Amino acid sequence: MSARGILGWFVDRFGLKPILDYMHKKEVPQHHHTIWYYTGSSILLFLVLQIVTGILLALYYKPTLEGATASVERIMTELPLGWLVRSIHSWGATFMIATVMVHLLAIWFTKSYRKPREVTWMTGFLLLVFSMMFGFTGYLLPWDDLSLAATKVGTNIPRAIPVVGAWVTQFLRGGDDVTGDTLTRFFILHVCVFPLLIFAVLAVHIILVQKEGMSLPLKAEIEKKKLPWLPFWPNFVLRETMIWLVLLGVLLSISILFAPSLAPTADLMSPAPEGVKPEWYFLFLFQTLKIFPANMGPVTGEFVAVVLILLAVVAIFFLPFLDPKPQGRSGKIVTYAGILGVIYAVVMSIWSLL
Amino acid sequence: MNARRALIIVTALVLALAPPAAPAGPQAAPAAADRPAVAAKPDAAAQAAAAPAAKPAVTKKPAANKVPVKRTEEILPAFQTPKEKTAVIVFYVWLWLSIGVLLYFLRWWVQEADRVFRARFYEPAESPRKDNPMPPLLGE
Repeated sequence: MSARGILGWFVDRFGLKPILDYMHKKEVPQHHHTIWYYTGSSILLFLVLQIVTGILLALYYKPTLEGATASVERIMTELPLGWLVRSIHSWGATFMIATVMVHLLAIWFTKSYRKPREVTWMTGFLLLVFSMMFGFTGYLLPWDDLSLAATKVGTNIPRAIPVVGAWVTQFLRGGDDVTGDTLTRFFILHVCVFPLLIFAVLAVHIILVQKEGMSLPLKAEIEKKKLPWLPFWPNFVLRETMIWLVLLGVLLSISILFAPSLAPTADLMSPAPEGVKPEWYFLFLFQTLKIFPANMGPVTGEFVAVVLILLAVVAIFFLPFLDPKPQGRSGKIVTYAGILGVIYAVVMSIWSLL
Repeated sequence: MNARRALIIVTALVLALAPPAAPAGPQAAPAAADRPAVAAKPDAAAQAAAAPAAKPAVTKKPAANKVPVKRTEEILPAFQTPKEKTAVIVFYVWLWLSIGVLLYFLRWWVQEADRVFRARFYEPAESPRKDNPMPPLLGE
């Protein structure tokens, strides 16, 4: 049987014909912002890489106090190319979160969250939050000095939330302090809970993207201008493949040349080492918490900072409803807010590194 | 209830439920910049330091807190054998060569697919797609 025959058998047995027809008919508008369409599929590429390398690491990783750092040490020093798999997983997380951020900012500035894509925006924002949570839970798993200290700081932050704060911290830690129970919890969250959540939300997100189609630039939509377009299959998919190849090459190059090391084993009884910092995508939040004074009137500065951050998160989540007419004044305010937000995040991150 | 009243009530509730500020003076909470280091100091250490004076009884530690043999030096990623080093270098060169060759063929394939699309090769005569103002080909 020929390759075409085998493919035809699968299409027939699994009823894939409507999907293939849809892909042939799907149109991708061509304009100045088409480049941003590619960020969505690049995230999928990094997600697949994370799953593959994550499974390989999980074959040898032991989520216990005694075994965690020793198993990572074994992966790095004994298993063939183990250090490279770990490096791809570590850098892949950075690439994935960076691409999700770029994708979100592109949607923000092109106002693609407008009606009827409100839920697509909300699910996309949830995917960013889950991706960052992936990074946060994964950071503790090597159980080294830096990851332990950073997790202690990170899990202490929710304590400032009114009513549920102390409970959230206790739930995350599995007790009053970060211990072996925290490690087990973070491992389960990292390899089980967040993957399930991300797959569920991702499915909704992708279905909505297919349902509504690619968004047009705001100006073209207002002027009802007919833009040129290309078929999704094969014209757009082939272009995406070219970008995937380049991204894959860059990721593998960085993973080979700048593989992460493993810091000394964490000691629960020793004080935090100097210069503890979270991953780069949490730096601006970390610095925001640091610049607030210890006390602000009747409440702590940390409480005020956490409430402000939570308000910002809620506002971003409900952005399509705060800016229902992006072509008007509110749209301009949202654009300026986005620019200010990016500048703030960059400045705070650099300040935190100094 | 109007919005202003609701806002006042919500603010009052949030302030009432907020954790209280630490007292002023020498025992005041540390500066925000120092907080991570202080927060990182385990409470168990302070308790262990105070425990012998107050109660010399042996406290039973939970099994989860058993500390393994501590490794104090950093482990740097490195090739384990010269064979592995050669394999990675060969792989790296092969990777970029393959990407270069694949990009060349993909570019050619994209141009061909665009040309077929522009010629409306697969479109029936009455297709609504005929109104598409054709985009330029890749590289045009």
